[in-house]
Order: sequence, then C-alpha cells, then structure tokens
Amino acid sequence: MVVSEAKEIMRISWGPQHPMSGQFRFILETDGENVYEIIPDFGFTHRGIEKILEYRTFVQGIVPFERLAMVDAANVGLAYVRAIEDAAGIEVPKRAQYIRTILCEISRINSHLYAIGLAAEAAGGYPAIFLWTTADRELFLDLAEMLTGARWSYAFFIPGGVRADIPEGFKERALKVLSYFEKRLIAYRDSWLENEIWLTRSRGVGRLSAEDAIKLGAAGPSLRGSGVELDMRKEEKYEAYEELNFKVAVQKEGDCQARFMVRFLEMIESTKIIRQALENLPPGPFKKPVPPKLPKGEGFARVETARGEMDVHVILDGSDKPYRVKVCAPSFRNLYVISKLPKLTKILVADVPVVIWSFDPWYLDADR
Amino acid sequence: MSEEEVIKAISENFGELVVESKVLRPKKVSITVKPEGLVSIATFLRDSLGFDHPLGAGAIDYPAENKIQMVYYIWSMNRRMLIMLRADTPRDNPRLPTLSSVWDQMNLHEREAWEMFGIVFEGHPRLEHLLLPEDWEEGVYPLRKDYKLPER
Amino acid sequence: MLIDERCIVMAELPIPIPIPLPEWVVEFIALNWETLLKIIIIPGLAFILLFELVAVWFERKFLADAMLRIGPLYCGRVAGWLQLIADALKLTVKELFAPKGAHKVLFYAVPVFAPTIPALAVVLIPFGPDWILFRAGGAGLLLFFALTSLIPVLTILAGWASNNKYTIIGALRSAYLYIAAEMPLFIAAAGVVILAGTFDLVEIVELQSKMWFAIPQFIGFITFFIAMLGASERVPFDIPVAEQELVLGWRTEYTGIAFGLLMTVEYACLLAWSLLFITLYLGGYQGPPILGPGTASGIFWMLVKLGIVVAIAIFLRVVFPRYRIDQALRLGWRYLIPLALLNIFLTLAMKPYMLALLK
Repeated sequence: MVVSEAKEIMRISWGPQHPMSGQFRFILETDGENVYEIIPDFGFTHRGIEKILEYRTFVQGIVPFERLAMVDAANVGLAYVRAIEDAAGIEVPKRAQYIRTILCEISRINSHLYAIGLAAEAAGGYPAIFLWTTADRELFLDLAEMLTGARWSYAFFIPGGVRADIPEGFKERALKVLSYFEKRLIAYRDSWLENEIWLTRSRGVGRLSAEDAIKLGAAGPSLRGSGVELDMRKEEKYEAYEELNFKVAVQKEGDCQARFMVRFLEMIESTKIIRQALENLPPGPFKKPVPPKLPKGEGFARVETARGEMDVHVILDGSDKPYRVKVCAPSFRNLYVISKLPKLTKILVADVPVVIWSFDPWYLDADR
Repeated sequence: MSEEEVIKAISENFGELVVESKVLRPKKVSITVKPEGLVSIATFLRDSLGFDHPLGAGAIDYPAENKIQMVYYIWSMNRRMLIMLRADTPRDNPRLPTLSSVWDQMNLHEREAWEMFGIVFEGHPRLEHLLLPEDWEEGVYPLRKDYKLPER
Repeated sequence: MLIDERCIVMAELPIPIPIPLPEWVVEFIALNWETLLKIIIIPGLAFILLFELVAVWFERKFLADAMLRIGPLYCGRVAGWLQLIADALKLTVKELFAPKGAHKVLFYAVPVFAPTIPALAVVLIPFGPDWILFRAGGAGLLLFFALTSLIPVLTILAGWASNNKYTIIGALRSAYLYIAAEMPLFIAAAGVVILAGTFDLVEIVELQSKMWFAIPQFIGFITFFIAMLGASERVPFDIPVAEQELVLGWRTEYTGIAFGLLMTVEYACLLAWSLLFITLYLGGYQGPPILGPGTASGIFWMLVKLGIVVAIAIFLRVVFPRYRIDQALRLGWRYLIPLALLNIFLTLAMKPYMLALLK
C-alpha cells in the first residue's frame, strides 16, 4: 500500500488487553481508517511444549500435546499419536480407527462452532449467534463426555488405539444429536451466513488469492476458502477416512465470507462422516498393546485439524521418551498470512476483527 | 514424477552438495545437503520442481555427533509430495544461510530456530526473539539438550 | 372545629394533602396542578425515567430470550425488574474522576446535559389535544429538530474534553453518523409538513384523524424509521459504541454516575425520536381511525404506539450485526436522502389526491 499523503500513522496495539483479541497482540499501523501493516507479536502463551515432551513418556506426553489447541483436542492429539505410530511402525486395529474418526469429527464440529460464534460476536456485535453456538456445543461436549469421560481435553488416543470402547447408548444419542444439529445448521445459515448486514461486513473483505495462499503457506479453511483443494484427510488417508464418503469444502472467492462458508460446509460434512462411521463400525479390539520403549526411528504425521494441517515430526532414540518432537502448527502459518494481508488487499480498521476471526488463529498452537 | 525421480533430479543437478537422500515414506522425501548448497537447491526445488507451499522449519540437536540439523518442510501442490530439506551445521558455531528469500514464511521459522538453538542465519532481515521474551538471557538456547528443564 | 383559610384552600385541591404546607405553596399547586402533573408525571420526569427502566428491562429480557439465556433474574423478585436501579445505585457509589489534563467543566457538563436535551425535546410532543407541556404553535417541529441537533455538539465536546486522541476520533465518527442520519430525517419530515401545511405538531396529529400519514407518506415513513435508528445510535448503527479498538468511543473516559447518565442518552434519544415518529406518521395521540374518536385517552394510545415502535427497534437489535462506519454513511447519503427527496416530489405532485384521502 502506497501512502500518498503525509498522514499520521498511529500504532495501535490490538490486544492482549482487548476484549476480542485473545491472548495475542497485533500491532496495527493505521492512520485511523486504513491499516497499512499488521505486525503479530508472538510469545504470550509460549509454554515450551516441544521441550516438555522430551521429558514425558509417550502416553504421558499426549496430555501436554493436546494443550496446543484444546478446543480441537482430538485432532491435535491424533497428530502426536500417529507420529509415534508412524515412527515405530504400529498398526492400529480397524475399530480403533473408526472410534478415532468419530471423536475427531465431534472435535471438529466443536471447534468450528466456537470459531463461528466468536467471529459473529467479535466482528459484528452479534452475540445471539455466539450464545447459540455455545448452547449447541453443549450437546457435542456431552457426547464426548459420554465417550471419553472428558468434555474437551480427551487424552483418549494412545499409541496402538483408543483407551476405551464406545459405551452403550452412545450411537442412539449421537444420532439424535446429529439430526437436531442439522436443523440448527439451517438456522445458522439463515440468520447468520445469509444475513444482509453480515454479508456487507464480510463479503469482499480480506481477499486472498489462491497463489498467495499457497505461496505464503496458509492452512486449513483459509486455504480452502481461496479455492485450493488440500485436505489431509484425503491426502494422507489416515484412520477411517479412506472408507468414508465425504467431500472437501472449497470456495473460490477467497474473502472472509468464503472462509466462513468453508467452515460451515465442513460441519455439514462432519455430521455425514459421524453418521457413516457409526453405521459401519467394525467389530474387534479397540487397542493393541505397545511396548513402553520404542526402537530408534523417525516418524512424520500430518493431520487435518479444524484450523488446518498440523505436522508432527518425531525422532525416537530407543528410550521411552521421544528425542525430539517438532510441530508445524497451522495457526503459526495463518498468523503469518494475516500479517501479509494489508500488503495484498485493502483493509480498514473496522475489518480487522472480521479478517482475523475468519482465519481463526488459535494463539496457543502458534506459540506452542 | 515419483519420489525417486525427484531425488534423481536433485542429485543430477547438484552432485556432491547432496549428502544423503532417501524416501522416508510414500510421498515423503528427505534430502540432507551441505550448508553451502542450501540456497541454490532450495531455489531449484521451488522453481523447477514446484515445491511452493512451505509448511515449517525446525532444528534437531545432536550433541553426541556435535551437530545441529535444520529441517525445512515443504509441500508441492502439483506433485502432492512433501520434501524435508535438511542441513547439518557444527554445534559450536552453527551458521546457515537464510532461506527467507526463497520461501517468505521461513523468516519466522528461522527466528524461532535461532532463539531456541542458536543457529545464526546469515542474511536474515530480522533475527530477533519471536516466542521468548525480549529480556531472555543471551546465549541460553532452550531447546538444546544441555538446557535442562527445572523439573520438580 | 376551627375553620381557617388554610382549610378552605386545601379543600379546593383535587386531592387532599394532609401535610401542613405554607399558604403560597398550596395556592401554587392548586392553580397549576395540571401543569405540575404534566411536568412531573407524564410526559415529564417520571415518564422518562420509567421509560428508561422499562425499555432497558425489556431489552435485556428480550435479548436474553433470543439468545437462549435468562437475563436479569434476581433483582426484584419478579423477573429482575429492579436490575436497572441496582446498576444505577452501583454506579453512584463508584469513584468519579476525570482523566489528567481533561477540561473538567466540559467533561462533567456533558453527562448532565446530554440526557436532558432529548428529554427536553419530549416536552414538545402532544399526548392529547390539550396535554402538551409546551405548546409551541407554529414552531413545534422546528424546535424539536433544533433541540436534537445539539446532540452531536455535546458528543464532540465530550470526546474533546476527555483529552484522549482516540475519543476525539470516536466523537467525530459519531458526529458523521449523526449528520448522515439527520438529513433524511429532516427531508422526510418536510414531506409531512408539505402535506399538512403546518409545523404545529398538534395540528399534524389532528389532520391524521381519518388516515395516518404513514400511508400517503409511505416512503418517508420507512426512511424516517431507518434514519431514526441511526440518529439514536441503535443497532445496526451502534458504530461509535463498539467499532473501534477504542473501547467506547466518546464515552470511554467516563466512570461512575457520569457513565450511567451517558448510557441513558441512547434511550432518551430513542424515546424522543420514537415520539416524533409516532406524531408525524402514526397518528399521535389518536386511536386508529377505524375505532372512531374518544375510545380511550390520548395518553393510552401514545403508550401503546410507543411500546410497539420501541419493541421493533429492540427486535432489530437482536437480529442484526452492526455496520461499518463507511457503509452506514453510504446508506444515509446514497440511499436514504434520495428516497426522502423522492418522497417530497411525490408529495408535491400528488398533494390534492393525498388530501382527498385524508378528508
């Protein structure tokens, strides 16, 4: 953006002491109207998880690893577990794969509902949607509690399978929740996605072209909202996704509305996946015994979390703790894309919350 | 192009700069190169072989072999293939050329590798603390193996 | 029994007051009881304060119900109706201070004047053929607009007096928004004036006895309603309140009871504009033409219509997010003003037909 007149540039600190920024700080350089630069300030929630994992056994390490993105704990925990299994060459029984898929999709719905609610609240002052999503999440949190015993910090996946089998009555309850939720999705579409004033706030705002999205390294719905079809569930074909029938949600426009549409469509696909997985659940064991010490090797796993693709590279040295765990976090990349956005397209100060929440960065996994 | 062909294309063009190359898993290639060849091989990967989607970068500390290995993870949209570009550097004076001119995002990842491992990236525009606070002690690199976590 | 003059004067009062008062006070009350009733009860102080109470309570409960929650519950055993009083009491005991370097006189003057100016505009609205606090005759509508035009002045003063770079930006935005909303209001009201031929609010209401002006002035009706939301900074136009990262725009630096008074400004503005809206377009204190005159008193009809208009404004708050400032300004300048002008042209062209409808 070329500053043609000598306007006074202010540096506004958006966060961390801010109602809607989360635990992060963006420094906006603006002249009151246009935003010329967004400088992200990382590190408020850096906990050194990669270092901590070197001091925990494989099973112990799942709990701190999930803290990378608690709202989406199943997908994130799955990344670590799969990396370990990849390193040691452990095959997971079929039934465990299906159970993992179900929990991952429940987690994905939770995360998208949370993101949508906060986006409506932060960007539009539309707290009704925020409270509706909070209420609807309760159903899924209760489902997860029925399955794993925890509402959202599951630690349910262990190398070799899952901790417990599906309890009695879970399938009926899940089907009831899903049919109610599908009606609620229609309500969300009508009152939020197709709300005229919301459309004026988010359509055409923060446009990201496909080439820029690829070059800058955007992840997840931010990438798919710009027309790039990349979904780890179809690329890596992990767990039961290979045998289930679902589409990848892609939108072409690349603006904020497209990214929100991608999340909305992904929720619809998740309900389909959960239904199919429950119908076709194969019998068999739900976990396999795994020795505490694993042989030397290295493993790499890529998992599609709700925010994008998370890669975990694990190096084992023959003891019962990993030697090094490297996490490539999706929100780190998305925050980088946000910081480059004012150079690519026009952003006003009032658009900043809409843009940031359309990328849905989860600051804890950017900081690790 | 399959994974073997990618490895062949790189070793044909860069010969002795490639120290080691292997196919880690289906669709995942790992090559280890000498630090001098990093920028040219990276440019070759991006322009000729189509590795355009950067995923991240991190380092691994091997005190037993007295080296720190820096790994770059890049994905190719067209080939649907992942490559791990690795380079070793001696532990007592770790220096590597920066790849932020090749893939812009590596800017941030290299800052993190510097503050966690102490690798100095030559040519980096802004080598400052990213995740650690500004008043962190000089010369203390948390992710190295000799930094012990104060465990209870 | 001792009969003295004071007893005789007291007996003339409509309501016997058992407290012994000095004679001149009793005489004053006896002669002016109607005006005093108007000033204190309706449409005066008690009405405005009660309106705030009821409107805020209704808004909080309605919003809560739409958002699947409950809203105020415990304050006041029935459905939390005393919540606003509790909040006001809490605000009174908070520390009242001005930021360093602020212009103290102006800073504290604004919360005093800001709610009173829209309340002052309410005195011009007729609540019945004789029930009007200030009969301005041929200047009624003009005086109303003159009073409400002072509001952006106070806003800018508040923003400037706070000695804060960001509040002055917020205040200026609030002023832009108000101007963009006020123009369509004037022009739409001009349509009514052309049709009625007078600025006198009582006469405008009287002319609507056969048909409310909402029907011949349909475009102006819609324009006035939308612009009214903009002028009182209701959602979807509550931009200066929350848009910027500047917490609360021009109200940021106020604490304690000053803050409480400023929060009532929004509802006082809504009250003033709604009353004008009802007077101009919805027949004022008269009942619906079908029912014929004299079914119920003017005050009753005013309250019913006020309730409906305010309920619609609150309902719009639930279903809409807010606009960006440039979008709201574009709405005002590019769409509402031309619509209001179209209304005037139509009125001028079709005045005889419209008058025939009203007869």
